[in-house]
Amino acid sequence: MEDCEDCEEIFSQDGVLLKQAPATHITFVNTIGTLYISESLNSNKKRFIEWKPNDITVDSDIQDQEWAVVNTIQKRTRTLSGNYPPDYQNRIKCIKLNFEDIKSFRIANKSRQISFYDGKADCLCIFGFQHGSSDVLLSILKRMLRVSVSKRDKHLYIVYDANFPEFQQLDRSFAELNIQHDSRTLWSVFKNLKDHPYETTFEAFSKVTDYVYRSPEQRDLDDVDRENLNRSISEYENTTTHSQGDYEVVAKVPERKDFPRLRPLSLEQWKGHMNSEGKIEDVESVRNLIFRGGVTPCLRSEVWKFLLDYYPWSSTELERQKLLASKSDEYYNMKLQWKRMTKTQEDNFTDYRERKSLIEKDVNRTDRTLDFYAGDNNANLQTLNDILMTYIMYNFDLGYVQGMSDLLSPILMLLESEVDSFWCFVGFMNKVIRNFDIDQAGMKDQLSNLHTLLAFVNPQLANYLDTHDSGNMFFCFRWLLVWFKRELSLEDVMRFWEVLWTGYPCENFHLLVCVAILETEKPNIIQNNYGFTEILKHVNDLNGKLDMAVMLNKAEGIFYQIKESDHLTDNIRLILGLPLLQSQTSYGSHEQSPFEDSAELSNGTQPCCSVDNVRISPDEVAYERSINSSFL
Amino acid sequence: MASRKKTLLKVIILGDSSVGKTSLMNQYVNRKFSNQYKATIGADFLTKELTVDDRTVTMQIWDTAGQERFQSLGVAFYRGADCCVLVFDVTAPNTFKSLDSWRDEFLIQASPREPENFPFVLLGNKVDLEPRAISAKRAQQWCQSKNNIPYFETSAKEGLNVEQAFLAIAKNALAQQNSTVDLYNEFPDQIKLTNTQKSGGNGDSCAC
Repeated sequence: MEDCEDCEEIFSQDGVLLKQAPATHITFVNTIGTLYISESLNSNKKRFIEWKPNDITVDSDIQDQEWAVVNTIQKRTRTLSGNYPPDYQNRIKCIKLNFEDIKSFRIANKSRQISFYDGKADCLCIFGFQHGSSDVLLSILKRMLRVSVSKRDKHLYIVYDANFPEFQQLDRSFAELNIQHDSRTLWSVFKNLKDHPYETTFEAFSKVTDYVYRSPEQRDLDDVDRENLNRSISEYENTTTHSQGDYEVVAKVPERKDFPRLRPLSLEQWKGHMNSEGKIEDVESVRNLIFRGGVTPCLRSEVWKFLLDYYPWSSTELERQKLLASKSDEYYNMKLQWKRMTKTQEDNFTDYRERKSLIEKDVNRTDRTLDFYAGDNNANLQTLNDILMTYIMYNFDLGYVQGMSDLLSPILMLLESEVDSFWCFVGFMNKVIRNFDIDQAGMKDQLSNLHTLLAFVNPQLANYLDTHDSGNMFFCFRWLLVWFKRELSLEDVMRFWEVLWTGYPCENFHLLVCVAILETEKPNIIQNNYGFTEILKHVNDLNGKLDMAVMLNKAEGIFYQIKESDHLTDNIRLILGLPLLQSQTSYGSHEQSPFEDSAELSNGTQPCCSVDNVRISPDEVAYERSINSSFL
Repeated sequence: MASRKKTLLKVIILGDSSVGKTSLMNQYVNRKFSNQYKATIGADFLTKELTVDDRTVTMQIWDTAGQERFQSLGVAFYRGADCCVLVFDVTAPNTFKSLDSWRDEFLIQASPREPENFPFVLLGNKVDLEPRAISAKRAQQWCQSKNNIPYFETSAKEGLNVEQAFLAIAKNALAQQNSTVDLYNEFPDQIKLTNTQKSGGNGDSCAC
């Protein structure tokens, strides 16, 4: 590492948050610091970007986030040139990116974030700008590096070759390069094209080939150059298919990020979010914490009532007590309706009788291996039965469908109270009611949506399934119908459900969980040349072998991969509840958010804000914020 | 010889919820019974090798969900079936009444080429339980009206008649495979013939 005294600072900006860093500096992630561009004063004149944490004691505790921001603003100093003083204490904490290592960078978050890439699809660093924006930095980078905007992503800048300072003198267009006087430059362009097809846009390539192909005879190349040029072009042509193939893959989905799970919502965190009246103050952040790590078991019986829409999130303790009384009355009224039915009434009511008999049969075979439901004449079985019977009276059109007892069982086991369990079950049913459509339309839609998502994320696997009689995705039926109840242990299914109930990070997140698992199983499926029968068996046999945290982690990575793809169709957007393309283009003209009409998920109160020209809902804003404050 | 090749028999078990489909399959394949089987969601299958008239066959037994509204999924699972096993609970008259609709629905969804000759086997399960609601005679009458479907009275719980019933199922499925070469349009042998023709064939290729 070079010494500070040997460098000249060209630019600096403070209030820069380190959001992603190499493993060596992982402890400084989420720390505020200053970003510098410097030039080495020795003969090599190397330029580099450096980031130093502020001179404050920072640990990566999430809770200190706000405090750290305030402190930074107080220390704010902004300089544009001059030597910066040696700071040996921070030396080891510095992150240094040599210009020559930067192959591309991307501006995001309304110019408040910049990511640097090393050309191998690995992200070197991500910086967030706490105040101001990346605009000044961008203009300097544009001046110092040979960059061009990616054709497929207007926020992505491709660096052609930073090794050659001569680039700075070159004109903007490749077509105007003075090639015969600087063949090294040409080779570096070709070298880049061959070595880094990912980042080198076809636009740039076409300019070069235009130049080369159109009038090679007019160029006064020496023989060696000509030979090299021809060889290089033919080599490029030979690899075109391959490169394009790779390019396609990259165009399909951006790199996948890792989203580690956090610790479950603790009692302290929960109480900390309640005001003196027992009202949750920042609902979105609570929901985010739950999405990130679930709920600590001792807190579940309380939190589930919120997640399952039994308690309104905006209610006070007093309001909840009143609600309990009225909900209890309502429940027992409905229960009496079937309890009071006489034998004759039942005999004359086939529909009711059939439902009653089906419930009885299923209750007797629901989770009997668990202590809570084990043994003969178990009172809990009677409660399970009574709740399902009362649900018939609550929603006679739906009645009882197999799978419902699976959904109720963990709720009753947790809450134990008949009334509370009933209303929480009602809340769960409202979320998955289409799983039980009489014509199975809801399930068919989900299977089809699952296929659409898989085809986007992993076309090879989707194609394999299509050509092996499995494009109908029926082997995922059980996963979807009861939200993995049959695949996971009781503890895992509770965690999994509470995470999904938050509705983060998008609609139909459970389908992305399916995509994540199928992707994991892809080598097994394809290498063994499985057909429909074998795939179904393989998938059924995953029962008890799935790692819930890994699934969620991967699914979230997939979500961001999809979301950040720039060829997202409305079809995919609809499935995941992302803003549609049409609405995006019309933002400038009116202020209405596409989420305002379907505000099912976003019952937050914050105004929508615009990021990268894409409207995002308060839910999403809060979600992103939580990620930032949690672990980025 | 045809007997040397490995034969796979696909068998589908159908019937109302809780008549004992999963239990019958597990009793036959694993010789086990449990009170704790959960309601089947979607479909699953088990396989068992057995010998029928000196011929080794693999039976792939498909267990499905019993509730009526899940029938529309059948089409994915029924395809290529060699035999359909209908099950009712001898103590529950409704499960007997549903047999017609299970049979009809299967024929519609699996659409075998000769529906009237497609092999079905009827199992009256839970004969260990009292009181009995459907007599053997009544069940047999129904079988006669459906082109003489074989009928067995079983108890998955006690393993009663289960082995015999599945042997009969295998025999019927096999007989069906032998008599009608082309049960469905995509019978494997047909593909084989095309391959032989393409590769120029050996002495045993036909002279068409």
